[in-house]
Amino acid sequence: MIEPQLPLDLGHRPALGGADFLISSCNAEAAAWLDRWPHWPGPALVLHGPDGCGKTHLASIFAQRSGARMLDPAQLGAVDPFRLFETAAAAVVEDADLGVDEVGLFHLYNAAKECGAHLLLTGRLAPGLWQIALPDLRSRLLAAHSVRIRPPDDRMMEALLVKLFADRQLKVGQDVVAYLATRMERSFAAARALVAHVDSAALAAHRAVTVPFLRELLDREEDERQARLPWC
Amino acid sequence: MLNAQWDRVRGRLREEYGDSAFKSWLQPLSLADLRDGILRLAVPTNFMRDWVAAHYGERIRILWGAENPDIRSIDFVVQPVRPVAAAAVAQPVAEVAAASAAPAIQPPRAETATAAAVGSAVSGNDEISAPLDPRYTFDNFVVGKPNEFAYAAARRVAEAEVVSFNPLFLYGGVGLGKTHLMHAIAHHIRARNPARTVIYLSAEKFMYRFVRALRYQDTMAFKEQFRSVDVLMIDDVQFIGGKDSTQEEFFHTFNSLVDQGRQIVISADKSPSDLEGMEDRLKSRLGCGLVADIHATSYELRLGILDAKCEQMGVSVPTKVQEFLAHKITSNVRELEGALNRVIAHAQLVGRDITLESTQEVLHDLLRANDRRITVEEIQKRVAEHFNIRISDMHSARRSRQVARPRQVAMYLSKQLTSRSLPEIGRKFGGRDHTTVMHAVKKVEELCQTDISFAEDVELLRRMLEG
Repeated sequence: MIEPQLPLDLGHRPALGGADFLISSCNAEAAAWLDRWPHWPGPALVLHGPDGCGKTHLASIFAQRSGARMLDPAQLGAVDPFRLFETAAAAVVEDADLGVDEVGLFHLYNAAKECGAHLLLTGRLAPGLWQIALPDLRSRLLAAHSVRIRPPDDRMMEALLVKLFADRQLKVGQDVVAYLATRMERSFAAARALVAHVDSAALAAHRAVTVPFLRELLDREEDERQARLPWC
Repeated sequence: MLNAQWDRVRGRLREEYGDSAFKSWLQPLSLADLRDGILRLAVPTNFMRDWVAAHYGERIRILWGAENPDIRSIDFVVQPVRPVAAAAVAQPVAEVAAASAAPAIQPPRAETATAAAVGSAVSGNDEISAPLDPRYTFDNFVVGKPNEFAYAAARRVAEAEVVSFNPLFLYGGVGLGKTHLMHAIAHHIRARNPARTVIYLSAEKFMYRFVRALRYQDTMAFKEQFRSVDVLMIDDVQFIGGKDSTQEEFFHTFNSLVDQGRQIVISADKSPSDLEGMEDRLKSRLGCGLVADIHATSYELRLGILDAKCEQMGVSVPTKVQEFLAHKITSNVRELEGALNRVIAHAQLVGRDITLESTQEVLHDLLRANDRRITVEEIQKRVAEHFNIRISDMHSARRSRQVARPRQVAMYLSKQLTSRSLPEIGRKFGGRDHTTVMHAVKKVEELCQTDISFAEDVELLRRMLEG
């Protein structure tokens, strides 16, 4: 029997330690490259994958291990990169595909190369699809080694659900995980959204997260969805 | 009369070869004399004589022949440009040369010993200079039609005892080898004469240094450091475009070095006159030496580069893969080498041989032009075409194996290639239950284990859909 959740929204802090990271075939290559640091094939490494696939998690594990500085993509112009690499062996720029300061990133890349430091960049899409106007930067990004985090496989999906529930102090049974995994959209973002949704629905209903509870919840919502979309 | 003819010939040459080539190679030519039907033209250096004779000699002869039937052949003679003080005792020919030759030609250094002593006395120059990439040497530079001019010019600057062009301005698109040539010049000079101070740095580093010096009110030391070098090389000078105070400082550094007869090498992405946000006086300074451009790579050059790189790294990469890369990655050398590095790095990481398939897999993101999402409908269409059944059979209730098997393959691929939930996939296949989809996936996985040709069919479909 699972203890009912306290009906208080205390928020939750996702575990971002190395031990919490799930490795599966979809992200093994990315993890292997980060483990290999500083033996990278160039000054920069790009991790790309869909929302919620663990880029931030991997990046923060990397930052802890390497002492890398996390930089704001929009504020790179304010950084003197040569100063930065006097004290840090690496820097991380997350979401480098969204409104990054291009000239700032270009200088940062060059400084990293010159100082023998490294740059970890993350984004949703492969660098070839980033909207980069500066040709010098574009060509450096295209030449950098980039690793894709793939959509979750079955093993990853199940492990991810367990972890996401655990982040919310919810212990769920294997039957719950199997039930959800075979019925949900198979993406990282969907898993995150679904677990948040299930958590709040269970809190509101004062129910434990069990298969019967989920069946009721999802069937009802499916019916509502069908009713809203009469042409389906 | 000869002078008027010469002017017309020069006018034609300028028209035919364009401003940049004309200024670099033809403007410095001057009339020496005409004797026995042989017209002698003076050039300032041996290198220029060879280059001009090889590349423009025939055309110059034809143009002169049309102007003046007495002229049967052209001879190029080397007439070094003398410093002004020495000009008084020079031949009249040399005066002509000195007057008409471009300001590109600087007097030879008179105080080598003194300058070298100053250079080594100034500490911290090594620290300003960016470290040189040991791989960027002349030997490792693969020469082809698109870059032979720039290569020859860089080589010349590296080997010259006296400054012949100032500055050497290398320009071309990104990733074509400008930095490689600059490092090669520095390696060469340092190896031949360790006493010479060679500083190589990017324009933005020059800027950061200058801004830092301003902040710490230490501009004197800054000026001293830069103005006491023998060779100054600034990479990607376009990045000081629009930075007025940095430009100002750079301009003075530039002039001071040129006045002392020190060599300057500059690179940029555009020709001096096309640089944006750059003051006119600086533009004209940058363009007054030798301007050499590097063109986009050719297929042959790309193959040559890949071959050389593989040998350098001691990795054997199948010819097929090299040809594939040379064919697909056409943008520039940096991206080409980056792609090769990625393929090799991946093979080493997973401990497998490099094949055409692994190459396509690793470079998937580079080769694909957009972020297209694969849809269930697309999968159904492709699979139906492949097995020669109707699309409607994907939704039908028919259970004969002839349609059931392709349907299962399509369900399997829908699970592999889309993020749709299993119930949703089931709905798109004629309202089937998600357990049917799970069964199909299991069935296809089993068949792939036992039936190789079936597995190949599935793999082929996956590739077609992903490609």
